[in-house]
Amino acid sequence: MSTATGPKTFELEYVDTVGFAADQGGRGFHLPVAMAIRGDGRIYVASRSHAEALNIVGIQIVSLQHDFYGTIGGYGRGDGQMVSPTALALDSDDNLYLADDALQRITVYDREGRFLSKWGSSGAGDGEIDGPSGLAFDGDGNLLVVDHMNHRVQRFTREGRYLDQFGSFGNGDGQLNRPWGIAVSADDHIYVADWRNDRIQKFAPDGGFVARFGSSGDGDGQLNRPSGVAVDCDGNIYVTDWGNQRVQVLDRDGRSLTGLRGQATLSPWASEYLEANADELRARETYEPVYRVDTDDPHETSARIEPYFWDPVAVVLDAKGKLYVLETGRHRFQVYRRP
Amino acid sequence: MTTVQSRQDTELMAHLLRRASFGATRAELERALDQGYEATVEELLNPRDCDELPYDLIRRYHIEQSTLRNQTGAKAQWIYRMATTRCPLLEKVTLFWHRVFATAATKLIQARPVANQLEMFRQYGMGSFRDLLLELSRDPAMLMWLDNMDNHRSSINENYGREILELFSMGVGNYTEQDIKECARAFTGWSVVNPDYMTIKMRNNTARPYGYMSWQFQYDAEDHDSGVKTFLGETGRFDGSDVVDIICKQEATPRFIARHLYHFFVADDVPVPQWPYTPPKDPEAIELMAQAYFESGYEIRAMLRTMFNSNFFKAEEARFARIKSPSEMVVGALRVAGGLDVPSPECYEAAKICSYMGQDLLNPPSVEGWYGGPDWINTGAYVERVNFASRILGDTEKPGVRALIDRIARSTGGADIPPERLVDACLEFVGPMSVEEETRQSLIDYAGRWREISWRGESDGRNAAIAALLQLMVTTQEYQLV
Repeated sequence: MSTATGPKTFELEYVDTVGFAADQGGRGFHLPVAMAIRGDGRIYVASRSHAEALNIVGIQIVSLQHDFYGTIGGYGRGDGQMVSPTALALDSDDNLYLADDALQRITVYDREGRFLSKWGSSGAGDGEIDGPSGLAFDGDGNLLVVDHMNHRVQRFTREGRYLDQFGSFGNGDGQLNRPWGIAVSADDHIYVADWRNDRIQKFAPDGGFVARFGSSGDGDGQLNRPSGVAVDCDGNIYVTDWGNQRVQVLDRDGRSLTGLRGQATLSPWASEYLEANADELRARETYEPVYRVDTDDPHETSARIEPYFWDPVAVVLDAKGKLYVLETGRHRFQVYRRP
Repeated sequence: MTTVQSRQDTELMAHLLRRASFGATRAELERALDQGYEATVEELLNPRDCDELPYDLIRRYHIEQSTLRNQTGAKAQWIYRMATTRCPLLEKVTLFWHRVFATAATKLIQARPVANQLEMFRQYGMGSFRDLLLELSRDPAMLMWLDNMDNHRSSINENYGREILELFSMGVGNYTEQDIKECARAFTGWSVVNPDYMTIKMRNNTARPYGYMSWQFQYDAEDHDSGVKTFLGETGRFDGSDVVDIICKQEATPRFIARHLYHFFVADDVPVPQWPYTPPKDPEAIELMAQAYFESGYEIRAMLRTMFNSNFFKAEEARFARIKSPSEMVVGALRVAGGLDVPSPECYEAAKICSYMGQDLLNPPSVEGWYGGPDWINTGAYVERVNFASRILGDTEKPGVRALIDRIARSTGGADIPPERLVDACLEFVGPMSVEEETRQSLIDYAGRWREISWRGESDGRNAAIAALLQLMVTTQEYQLV
């Protein structure tokens, strides 16, 4: 598949940054890994956090206007709780589905965040899962689950009844190697971030292989361990190119349209924190956020440059086509739009 | 190819692999014996293809180990790396420089710069000492640790200028107070990008608003004192790299580094502060390594090669002449027990226990590092050592322990096993370890209680017997030595 650079007419402009390092709780996220956006703009973000801050594990609810509504769930193995959240999706009734790759289960919450049900069993057989890493609803309202350690995608009804599957381990057409994110386009095609094959694969609604986009590398249109994927109504493909610490946008044929490295600004939550800490605010006046780094490693570069994406993990489009890029390393998401 | 190895060859190879690695499994030992001593030294000295698990997988599944800002994650990652690497000497050398160029995350708050420093040790630690010392002088963690961001043309801060001479290269008695001042002047303007903000973030100890930023070296020409300096008898408009060149030429430098290498790899010495007043245990060994340093153009690898191939390293009296550091104890047990496929919670636990034993990785107690030797042993630490090793090696589900049980069972052909053979097989597994005859006899007496155990087929009894014997062995004084 061609990865040649297409005409540079496609542009994305920066809109805003939402988030804050909630490493001690409160407003914000901590090592977030997944997001989903409701039709009315309400945003769900799943924070995985780490062993020393388990009280922050959960699904935070926010808005693009920086409202913080609270958290769903929490760390644990009980109903509605989670250990290692990986993915979120919303059904047509705005019920929220959460994948957990430690508990090997899908948890369902209602529109108000109340626990509804859970399902899933561990294994490699039909309908069993090993490391669910991506969720998306198909055109028929069934749930596609990226069953990543089994290198396949499985389809379930909303109640968790197994329907069918596609994909197997390998690097051939239609084969997968530890896939991660998944998206369904307006015409019901399925796009999978084929993580360890450094490509996006496109499947027909029934799971038949259609195309593959991208190859290993850091050039235009190339990918290094893509984690998340989204598709707009024109068929353009947005990819969190996790290993290259950037977002790549490809046209429907896989040609590179543009890329983003990140340009985060201070969210109001961040500004309020700085206003309350005068010494930090003062020092920030002489601080240069973006400078020339002395490393070729994009991951280390992102560790040094605050506005850049650091571990961009998920990419989501809202109902108006705005692009949201969630970053694990910086506890926030950046928003972009077509001009 | 399998050759018949003499007991002396086996014991010597086991000694090499205890010191240049973290001990060896039976399979590793046999492979090394087939290869030969000097070839094994060369393999250890020229690491390649080291990682058991690719870094992308670690980053995906252990996200706190991807950012490495949190000390717990960074320590667990290092334990995992030491316990699984195919290049153990590289990790040992990294540990060595971490002890000599001691830099602690307690002050720096975020662990990432210290983890980056360790990565720098992996890259430069066996190469030219000049390159290493220059990289150290540019290392953001070191610059912030020893306050060189406060070392200005208008007012010098002598901290780094002093320690590079006293603790990192030459040792007390080989320079003057004036040399320290001139050295500090040479390093003025060696700082990090955005020093004010980074210093405040460090002092305020907060990851907010968007997580810590990693640091980068920055040379500020305007803040550098470019005047004439006289340093160790030479005069010129020296900057930091000139100072490093001059240090590396000094006779005292390789002797100081060689003494550290001897202390770390050959036999316990007195703590560094006593070195100016106590001669080295083996001055000839120090001279041999110093000679290798100059002949090779300051190569640490050459010093190590000389050391491992020398009679002073191979000698009987060098064996079990050091007290195992906590990291050697912990990693050695994890490696021989096996089964650590991913950076599991066991790595986090091991890092924590290592600190209970007195070695909090990434957090040496001061710029002088850990003294080592008898300092590693006190009542509390001894209990931690025994409990940890006993838990790991007493776990018959671990593949290494499992393999030992199967090997013993196979060798008996279903017959009873004499307690002497059982004890010897277990001693070989945990070392191979030599013990005093009295200790061996006690172990044999203890093993005598299992004379009735059947070695035919699966048996819980024999698993329990091996586990109990291994657990008893790790309580011995001999097991604390390396």
